[in-house]
Order: sequence, then C-alpha cells, then structure tokens
Amino acid sequence: MKSQVHRLLLCYYHLHKRISGDPLFEIPELPLHEGECTVLSGQNGAGKTTLLKILAGISVPDQGYVEYHGKRYDWPQAGRYCRRHTIYLHQQPYMFNDTVAANIDYGLRLVGIQAPERRRRVEDVLEWGGLEHLAARDARVLSCGEKQRVALARAKVLSPRALLLDEPTASMDKEACEKAYFLIKRLCAEGLAIVVSAHEVYPIRRLAHRHLHLESGKLIDQTALGPPNYASTSSTIMNEEENGRRARDNQ
Amino acid sequence: MSLRAILFATPAALVLAFALAYGRFPGRRILISTIHTLLAIPAVVVGLTVYLLLSRSGPFGDLRLLFTQTAMIIGQMILCFPILVAMAHAAFQSTDRRAWETALTLGAAPWRAMVTLMHEVRFGLIAAIVAGFGRIIAEVGSSMMVGGNILHYTRNIPTAIALETSKGEFTQGIALGIVLLLLALVLNVTLTFVQGKGEITP
Repeated sequence: MKSQVHRLLLCYYHLHKRISGDPLFEIPELPLHEGECTVLSGQNGAGKTTLLKILAGISVPDQGYVEYHGKRYDWPQAGRYCRRHTIYLHQQPYMFNDTVAANIDYGLRLVGIQAPERRRRVEDVLEWGGLEHLAARDARVLSCGEKQRVALARAKVLSPRALLLDEPTASMDKEACEKAYFLIKRLCAEGLAIVVSAHEVYPIRRLAHRHLHLESGKLIDQTALGPPNYASTSSTIMNEEENGRRARDNQ
Repeated sequence: MSLRAILFATPAALVLAFALAYGRFPGRRILISTIHTLLAIPAVVVGLTVYLLLSRSGPFGDLRLLFTQTAMIIGQMILCFPILVAMAHAAFQSTDRRAWETALTLGAAPWRAMVTLMHEVRFGLIAAIVAGFGRIIAEVGSSMMVGGNILHYTRNIPTAIALETSKGEFTQGIALGIVLLLLALVLNVTLTFVQGKGEITP
C-alpha cells in the first residue's frame, strides 16, 4: 500500500543460502525501491542478518542474481553493484580506531575527494546527525545510540541509494531509538531505499511502506496486515521535526 | 642487513597472515601448523638449507649467491618469516569481522579493506615485526654458514662476536654485544614511538 510510486533500484532473484548444508532461505524475488522503507522481521536465526549482508554485497549467496537497470548480474559481479549502491549497518556498528570525524571521512577518502571538500561534507553530515559536539571524540568510546548515529552519518555522507540496517535500535533506550527513527525517516524521505531488520517490529513499522517476514526460509509479505501510516508517527518524532524547523527558522 | 631482511619479508608475511585469518581455502590449517612448526627451526638448519640450495652443486648454484650479503638476507628472511606470519595471524584473528565488512560496505576494495584492518591491528603487527627483528638481529648460525664471515663484506656483529670469542678476545666480544643491544634498543624505542599509546579502549 504505497503512498507514491517508488522507482526500482535493484531486484534480487532466487537468493538461496545454506548454512552447514542446511537451507537458510530461498527467496524468489526481492526488489528494492528508492524512497521505500521496508521492515524485515523474523525470529533469531531466521537469516535476517545474512540476507541483509547479501543484499549489501558483503556476503555471497549460494545462488541468485541481481537485476540492475534491466541487466542481469551474477555473483561476484553482482556483489560489486550491490556494494556500489547500498551500505550495510551492523546491529552494533564498528567504529574504526579514530575520531568520529575521521570515521565519517573514511569512505570519502576512499573515493579520492580533496581534503577541503571532504571537510565540508563531514561538517554537513555531522550537523545533519546532531553530532557536531562529538566530532573530535574517539569513536570507540561512544554509547550505542551515538555509534548508531555516527554509522548513519558515515553512510549518508557517501550518498548511497540504499541503506540496510540490522536491528539498529536493539540496544538503545527510548530516546535514542526515537532519534534513530527520526534520521531513518529523513533518509527515506530523501529517496533512499531502506531495509530495517527488527526483532521488535512495532516501533519501526509505523515508518515502513513494506513489512516482510522471514520464516522457515521463506519471505512472507505482511504489508497488508497493517498499512504504513505516517500520520500515526509518534509525537516525539513529530516534535523533533517541529523543533528542528523552528531552530532553522530562528537562524 | 637484518633491517633489509625484515623489510623484504614483512609484506609477504602480512598478506599470508591475512589470508590465513580471513581466507577459506584448502590446506589452510596444514599451512598454519607448518608455520607454527617452523617457529622452532634452528638458525643453523636454515643456514644449512640455504647453503645447500646456493652451493655450486645446488639448484640455485648458478646465481653465485653463496658467501654474499644477499645469501645472508635470504637466510634471515626465512628465519623471521614464520614469526612474522604467526604473530600477524594472531593479530588478524583478534580483529572484529565487522571491521572488514564495514570497510567493504563503505566502498573499500578488498586490498584497501586489508590495509584498513592492518591499521586497526597495527600494535599487534608492530609487535610481530619487533619479534621477527629480534629473531634475526642476533642470530649467528645462518649468517655464518651462508655468509662465510668475510671481513668488511659478510661479517656482522653476531658473527664478529663469535669470532672474537673463538680467539679468546672476550672483552672485544662483550663490547660488540653491548653495541648490538644498543642498536636493538634504538630500533625498539623508535617502533614503540611509532606504535603510540597502544592502550586498551575503555
């Protein structure tokens, strides 16, 4: 039940994965649309993390291929396309042994952007994530919520077209969750395809256009069981948006 | 000479250590066991093997490397290689796999992700290099056999100490020993400085 038409970014076909000889999942088709938020649920061990890593191109399926711009790509070439357009965020993001700003700068350095431009982009994204005060801090000593926001900023600065988030709010308190949801919602509104795996579906589902449930190796579309409803977005998120708008107006 | 040996051996050792830690290929475990076994190899056995390989009747005799500095460097590289690989392998094994995945997903090519990982475990890798250097800077067996202890050409401090001792010139031997230790101290202090604080994250 989409509120608007979303452009197809990548479509994965016949993804099969086995763990120690036992089938983990077999997914006939999984499209990723720009600007669409998908929540991926499933019990522990259902294969959510493995699936997200395959979608991100950092893990290899036993079978499967990807369609991009109407062309079919098999692995390992498919993996390169997936890595080019998607970024995967761990449940507990890994922070490189450096400052927050250097962590965000990591991907930009790989692309070979000049230092002044990199600095400008890092500053912008720090502001976007409300992380300016943490820029010079050692990224490894941050709280879970802060690390998650740094990881989101580190991904956003690279302007990916899809973000794959693995239980991003699993070890956060309510306030940190709301901040993360707020950023996820903004990213989605900016046109990114977002897939969020979640053990606890309800809180994130209110942001999602699609709800897929991974069970017994099958991906079941449960969107129809409860349509997305931006209108019911929590008051906290709405208040944060309102506060942000007022702050910008005052500047 | 020892510096050159460690410089030449380190890149290959680090790549092999990384492959052993992160790669999945047939014979990986056997290779790890072999490397660990080679940790205990005596320097004279390495010297003898290199001697046989480089001697006129050996397979590489035509290269005329025996009793040259190159032969000594080869011997020392073989000696330090297992230590470098074993310790670097342990360092890579201690890394979080998320570091590798994070580097990849942020756009790093596999070789660049490997460099990132090396940076993450640099303290362990520097420790490996220090240990490897310690193994070869003071070794006599291999250098003496393949270098021949030729004055002004293949004589280094350890072989000079051995010679002075055999002549009964103990004072000269002790003095050379102190010089060797000072050289090792300077190098280790430099590496510790490069290593930085190396503290555990709170």
